[in-house]
Amino acid sequence: MRQSYKIAILFLIVMGVFPLFSNSAWLAVGTTFLIYSVVAFSQDIILGRAGAFQMGQAVFFGLGAYTTAILNVQFGVPIIYTFIPAIIIPLILAIILAGPVIHLRGDYLLIATIGFNIIFIQVVQNNVFELTGGPNGIFGIDVVKIFGIEFMSQTAVYYMSFILLALTLWIMRNLDASKFGRAMFYINKDDIAAQSMGINVRYYKLYAFALGSAIAGAAGSMFAIQYSAVSPEAFNVVQSIMFFTIVLVGGSASLPGVLIGTFVMFVLPEIFREFATARYLVFGLAMILTMILRPRGIWPVKFGNIPNYLKKDKK
Amino acid sequence: MSDFLLEIKNLSKLFHGLVAIDELNMKVKKGQIYGIIGPNGAGKTTLFNCITGLYTPEKGDIIWEGKKINGTAPYKIAELGILRTFQTIRLFSQMSVAENIMSGRHIKSNQRWYNGIIHTPSMQKDEKTNWLKVGELMEFFELSDYATTPAGDLSYGLQRRIEMARALAAEPKLLILDEPAAGLNENETIKLAQTIRDIRAKGVTILMIEHDMDMVMSLCEYITVINFGAKISEGEPAFVQDDPVVIEAYIGSDEDE
Ligand SMILES: Nc1ncnc2c1ncn2[C@@H]1O[C@H](COP(=O)(O)OP(=O)(O)OP(=O)(O)O)[C@@H](O)[C@H]1O
Ligand SMILES: [Mg+2]
Repeated sequence: MRQSYKIAILFLIVMGVFPLFSNSAWLAVGTTFLIYSVVAFSQDIILGRAGAFQMGQAVFFGLGAYTTAILNVQFGVPIIYTFIPAIIIPLILAIILAGPVIHLRGDYLLIATIGFNIIFIQVVQNNVFELTGGPNGIFGIDVVKIFGIEFMSQTAVYYMSFILLALTLWIMRNLDASKFGRAMFYINKDDIAAQSMGINVRYYKLYAFALGSAIAGAAGSMFAIQYSAVSPEAFNVVQSIMFFTIVLVGGSASLPGVLIGTFVMFVLPEIFREFATARYLVFGLAMILTMILRPRGIWPVKFGNIPNYLKKDKK
Repeated sequence: MSDFLLEIKNLSKLFHGLVAIDELNMKVKKGQIYGIIGPNGAGKTTLFNCITGLYTPEKGDIIWEGKKINGTAPYKIAELGILRTFQTIRLFSQMSVAENIMSGRHIKSNQRWYNGIIHTPSMQKDEKTNWLKVGELMEFFELSDYATTPAGDLSYGLQRRIEMARALAAEPKLLILDEPAAGLNENETIKLAQTIRDIRAKGVTILMIEHDMDMVMSLCEYITVINFGAKISEGEPAFVQDDPVVIEAYIGSDEDE
């Protein structure tokens, strides 16, 4: 088995037993860590794999969260029925939004996607359709109920997030070992060569956006459940910058890398909370140093994931 | 139906007024090894870029199996069976040799959109078929020892072989080679000529640009000579070789053989 899958499984085991050893405050941090990791993987599909400079991932994360919140609070839809719309709506919007800008390269796409994020925040803050609750957001989201059983404890929410991350890792593994995952790498590494091999660059970039946004939407739904509330600032450009940074600092397209990135960018600040805002100085420095010393990330991706019967390297 | 696989008719390509290809005509027969020669900057690579859809010509037609294909997107050209290598090597250099060659299997793979998320038995069978094909190509090009090595870490000669293997993985009807012998030593060049003959023996038509005259003259059955974007001579190697116009063009330029 590939080393990074072993690490992913080891990680899941550690996270699986984590609630047994933690108090309520740490359980909350752990839950958010799991959810942010899912968003980071969704960002990684678009940025790390397909190579599209998407700086607005919080939009799709937010769309998933708001879909669950609005359907549940404004329309009384039970939480479990909001999951599918919270995946489908970001997916459709991703295709509509990315369609006209997908051909832009690097910095141009980056600016366009920041634009999406700013518009998204404006729309939810101004309560445009009388649905989003304005600057305060939406409160009082129900707990998850399946067959009349309420999953309301913190531990229950933790394990739901855990399952979501495990599912995401499973999808990443399937993606890696498919024509689709490889096509994303090819267009990322050399789009002229990729086209000349018959790969439709536009299709695979849109595929990455659609899949990445659907996963981000699922994470958003879980985020709304964890806090039983949603508000605009959880999905602003600064959050998008964080997800973008997680992928580059951790290691694009690397499963351990993305997990380490999320840990470094989200959990470490929580651990050093007592140092107040001074901790962000360390972070800024850490980001700068990583890019100088390890430009491909703390744990860079390793290619060569091919079937064993082809491995005849003498070395 | 003509017996020509590819026809170029009155093709012109301009770059901001500079004529890179000038009213060019040529016809490639099925099963041929067809050579394009000419001094540096003659427009040879530009011609290949027009055929493969990377450039759109201003004038003229590119006819593939009787149908006009100018303006077709590069990925659709590949789907038609026209595959190429690049003069300046374009590999996915961080990726392994096997993964590079696998990119050629893309158009032969029949995976459905949901197979990027969920695997099915038929999808896994498709994966296996394609990887086995990659294995065969690595054997043929003597690349098996480097299966998991990043392509960018290998020598020039090996990288050129990977590019050919990658193009062949797509089972092309026409293989376009842009200076396949560039950067190779004498032994490698001799081996390359044999490889090209072997590929043709499998039924693949070959269109190649090459500066190595010994190789071109011994390998190609038909040659078109281009200078300043225009055809100055064409014919069998023996004819082209002795054509005064060709000799003039090469002496007139700073071509160093
Ligand atoms: N993308 C481009 N933009 C502008 N000019 C170009 C472009 N590509 C090629 N040219 C010009 O077109 C002319 C033909 O170039 P081309 O690369 O086709 O020559 P070539 O015959 O392949 O030469 P060589 O033997 O050196 O590879 C040159 O003058 C070159 O500078
Ligand atoms: Mg050239």
